[in-house]
Amino acid sequence: MNKLAVNLNVNGRNYDLSVASNKTLLEVLRDQLDLPDTKYGCGTGECGACTVLIDGQVVNSCLTLAATADGKAITTAIGLEKDGQLHPVQEAFVEETAVQCGYCIPGMVIKTVGLLEQSPEPNEAEIRHWLEGNICRCTGYEKIVAAVKSASKKMTNAGVKAVG
Amino acid sequence: MGEFKSVGKNVTRVDIRAKVTGRAKYAGDIDMPGMVYGKIIRCLEHAHAKVKSIDFSEAKKMPGVLKTLGPEDVTSKTYNQSVIDLMASAQEAEWMGDIEEQNIFTKHVKFYGDGIGAIIAETEEQAERAAAKVKVEYEALPVYLTPEQSSAPDAIQFVESKPGNRAFQLPAEMFPNNCLGWGDVDEAFKEADVVVEDRFYTPKQKQCQMEPNNYIALYDDEGRLNCWSSCQMPKLAHVKLARLFEMPMSRVKFNQTVVGGGFGARLGLVMEPEVCALALAVPGRPVKLLQPREEDWLSSPSRHPSDYWMKMGFKKDGTPVAIDAISKNFKGGYYLDGSALASTTGFWLQGMYKVENLRYRGESYFTNQPVCGAYRGYGNPQTNFVLEQLVDRACNELNVDPLEWRKKWHKTVGDNSWIGFTQYSSCALDECLDKGAEAIGWKEKRAKYANQTGVKRRGIGLSVGQHTSGAAPMILEHTTCTVRLNEDASAELLLACSDLGQGSHTTLRQIAAESLGFPIDDVHLDVGDSDANGFDIGAHASRTLYVGGNAVKQACEDARRQLFERAAKKLEANADDLDINDEKEIFVKGSPNKSISAKEICEVGVYNFVNHLTGERNGEIGQIQSYVSYMPDHNSPPFFCTFVEVEVDMETGEVKVLELVSAHDIGRAIHPAICEGQMEGGAQQGLGMALTEEIYFDANGKVKNNSFTDYKMLGSSDMPKMTNILVENPDPYGPFGAKSVGEAGLVTPVGAVANAIYQATGIQFTQGPITPEKILKAIREKAAAA
Amino acid sequence: MSTRILSDFNLLIPETVDEALDILDRLQDKVTVISGGTDVLVAMKFKFETENAMSVAKLPGMDGLSFDPDKGLRVGARTTIAQLLNFPEVKKYYPAIWEAAVTFATPQIRNTATLVGNLLRGSPAGDGSCAVYALGGSMVFASKSGEREVDIDDLWVGYATTARKPNELAVELRIPAPSAGNINAFKRLTRVNEDLAKLNVAVSMTMNGDVCEDARVVMGCVAATLVRLKQAEALLKGAEINDESLAKMMSAVEAEITPIDDQRSTAEYRKMVSGVIVKRTIEQARQRA
Repeated sequence: MNKLAVNLNVNGRNYDLSVASNKTLLEVLRDQLDLPDTKYGCGTGECGACTVLIDGQVVNSCLTLAATADGKAITTAIGLEKDGQLHPVQEAFVEETAVQCGYCIPGMVIKTVGLLEQSPEPNEAEIRHWLEGNICRCTGYEKIVAAVKSASKKMTNAGVKAVG
Repeated sequence: MGEFKSVGKNVTRVDIRAKVTGRAKYAGDIDMPGMVYGKIIRCLEHAHAKVKSIDFSEAKKMPGVLKTLGPEDVTSKTYNQSVIDLMASAQEAEWMGDIEEQNIFTKHVKFYGDGIGAIIAETEEQAERAAAKVKVEYEALPVYLTPEQSSAPDAIQFVESKPGNRAFQLPAEMFPNNCLGWGDVDEAFKEADVVVEDRFYTPKQKQCQMEPNNYIALYDDEGRLNCWSSCQMPKLAHVKLARLFEMPMSRVKFNQTVVGGGFGARLGLVMEPEVCALALAVPGRPVKLLQPREEDWLSSPSRHPSDYWMKMGFKKDGTPVAIDAISKNFKGGYYLDGSALASTTGFWLQGMYKVENLRYRGESYFTNQPVCGAYRGYGNPQTNFVLEQLVDRACNELNVDPLEWRKKWHKTVGDNSWIGFTQYSSCALDECLDKGAEAIGWKEKRAKYANQTGVKRRGIGLSVGQHTSGAAPMILEHTTCTVRLNEDASAELLLACSDLGQGSHTTLRQIAAESLGFPIDDVHLDVGDSDANGFDIGAHASRTLYVGGNAVKQACEDARRQLFERAAKKLEANADDLDINDEKEIFVKGSPNKSISAKEICEVGVYNFVNHLTGERNGEIGQIQSYVSYMPDHNSPPFFCTFVEVEVDMETGEVKVLELVSAHDIGRAIHPAICEGQMEGGAQQGLGMALTEEIYFDANGKVKNNSFTDYKMLGSSDMPKMTNILVENPDPYGPFGAKSVGEAGLVTPVGAVANAIYQATGIQFTQGPITPEKILKAIREKAAAA
Repeated sequence: MSTRILSDFNLLIPETVDEALDILDRLQDKVTVISGGTDVLVAMKFKFETENAMSVAKLPGMDGLSFDPDKGLRVGARTTIAQLLNFPEVKKYYPAIWEAAVTFATPQIRNTATLVGNLLRGSPAGDGSCAVYALGGSMVFASKSGEREVDIDDLWVGYATTARKPNELAVELRIPAPSAGNINAFKRLTRVNEDLAKLNVAVSMTMNGDVCEDARVVMGCVAATLVRLKQAEALLKGAEINDESLAKMMSAVEAEITPIDDQRSTAEYRKMVSGVIVKRTIEQARQRA
């Protein structure tokens, strides 16, 4: 095991860190940067609870070596809120009652932001295909899909981009 | 609904902002100074074995290791990790044959993944590396994977008190001849015109809640054992831990953390005993136990698989004359709720149809498989898979529409409920059936799909069910609730109710606001911890809204009564003539100017001064508070139905679920979106149970698919178009007429999708899950036989 | 082993290709290359241990995607599945690859995983590999001794084993320009939509009207590696594609394969559907033509 110096920009803030070679980005976010919003759900890139944005793209932080994220801009769920105002995607999840136990939600919200960033007005089939890789056991995905549609409308009407 | 202010509204869930921002803290997110990490050593070599020796010597030398623990290093007191045994009387427990045979670390491994020891280290990684150095010597034992195998005469006994490894059968003391039922089925079958019979297998389904099993425990410097866990039943876990570690309850503190899904997996203890044992080994250090996902399939209870035989007899005119059934449940390695599940499976059966004669035998057998416990539906999905398919088979033979038959023969108000000695208080199943049928186009599609010949064939299926609202009067039902009015007339509600994500913290708050007559924002619900909150069973048996809601309603109505009585004195009116408006002004009905603010009353109750000149107080003293210790007398079972349309590819056996319509006899929807959420989520799990989900084993009992790679659930793009209909027909006993919905959503999709596949293919599938492999094989065999 | 904690290893992140080749030359099979890493890192959480890991994350170039009507498609070693989906020529000329990419794992994985990585993984169930195998092409490896091109037909030598030498770094995948009359498609069967395949098929055929002049038919999940169904190919070659010839082909496919029971399906089922899926893949390719 060796240690590597990395610079991570997380939710707009720069961190100069020394990370162990075998630490994933998920572990560094949670344990070194004290950001527990991104979750461990399976560790194998299947459940999506660990989803973050790296340079605007959705990835599994549990399968990203922290050292290889050097110099990247990372966004997690807690970074979406601005000045006490929820991101339109978060607002949509609230309004559609698209949350039950909430464990999948940080990843689900980030996944939605990632979708609307590259496809601002997705149809239902696109939404459901995109949400593959984020497992929810509570909602049957129904209200989550409704929330994504609602977020898309909100953002299109307001002329806002997903990743601000 | 115009008549209510809070009830019936989709208010913002109280926990939702914390959850969408990621601020909600689950057990694994909690950090404490001095925290150390535990790792459970599990037997991943055998499904059945004796532990001959554990060599920790190499592990002890690894960096950061604080303690190594084997069976001798922790209490040898045995326990039962389920908490359902606490809810039956001692007499009943004795009749049922409930036992407590589990050890924290075992020397007799009874399933692949059974825990045999643990490591405590400064970091999680160090614990992991040290665990890899533990050397264990096992003596392999024969493996039993079915009731047939474990009940064989020469099989090794799991527990001395359970000969033939039969963990449970219905006790004769409560069920004559070990059978549930009435009449004489054997005679009745002789008179039957149509008899249908088959043997079914219902799979070992896993809850797969998204939050893995994480725990923290600390034996603090005051000699108190503290535990943080997302257990569904914190109060019952509290008493179990106190008993296990032989401490008074007042020295054990149980903190329920935000629950990331339960579905029954966390109904009892999962790893609380282990983490507490670890904490006792390192006093003053908080111990964290973070479970890797792959161990969830091994270590927390799944649904009971069952070998379920059923026979039904009918008259030509469709009258059901007899049902005979035997359910043999695969219990897994330990007893847990061996009695309860095998019993309820039969209760749901007896509660559905008006049949003259019924006999049900329920049994459980130990097997070398991970433990089984509670999973949403609790025997009802199993009964649904079997009963509803046999009904359709009979309808086919009787040439009767499956919808019409069910409408005619389902039990209703006044009939003996699934509980047996109480009657159904309300039933809107007919309206559910009518609305559901219309929504999916039952009549047209049933006719259209009657005779298909193409490669892609469609089918539409139906299933009905009834469930429970709480567990009264069968087992203990008890909720305590305190309502306290602050000096500013905002309300504090103290209730140890469990929100697993289903939204009970929100709906109970709605009921409180409605009952007090307060705006919902003025009502705060505090769940507290085991020190601060009172008794509540927890979340199971779809009880939190029905029982918790009535407790809240009673307590709030009493607080309101106290408030009104004080106001009445001030206004010189009768308390019965008073009402309260949205600004919390209490006024005389008809004379709104005669009013006094609730705030004024509450304030003077708390800030009560003696006038130095007059020697008199400035008003009625005492903070208004109400307390109820509520034990319901009633159970108001909801009825429900599901319609499913599928398309089967006759060349590949693949099933596409096109549409699902469920209709639910909710009584009153306190929060419609939350009710829908239960039905929608339940459908995902029910369809999974019927089509794709199963834990399976190799010949040696090793679990083969403990990962999301191979335990497959329906994902976002697999789900059908869904319509969920709430039918409101207020129940006389439910809070504002409400009945439960938490478990029901899972039940009827099971039978409905099976029946849809039946119409599409003309073949019934008795072995769940119904996979393309089974379908195509049957299609080809049928074609070959033709 | 635990999905929460990776095994221990020394991590190297070279910043030039020369540096990378030096490392490979020095450490050979004591170093594991991590590109997208979505497969390797999962393995490293279970049984797989490695002394050293070399990430190619900082290597310049190697992430390109280009198409030339004569030279065909060039896919850099670090090119992700998502990049393939966004490249119009992939969908236009190599729909088999595009179809495999659409259902490849999940969006998160598609943003990270590479097509070349999928080929080097050598899984008999690899969707991208299945499509590429049918299309034909070659993998270019670099080492201190220079560059070496390996034909796809020679790439997979056994279960999860490729012809790559321990001191070699894959730099580029080359897929030939589509011949006139080429049609190609990919299909797979899964348990649920987001899943590894229980059976996958890719076909690449040169058609002259309704007559098939040449065919490559690849099936996955039925052997230790992806396999070319040579008997099926032989039946198709020179034949007019109609119900009769397809039925003959289907029987040949069922007879040619020897699948096993595993996590995802049974030998019996795979045999039963194999012919049907090949037929449907051919029909899918023809529909687009």
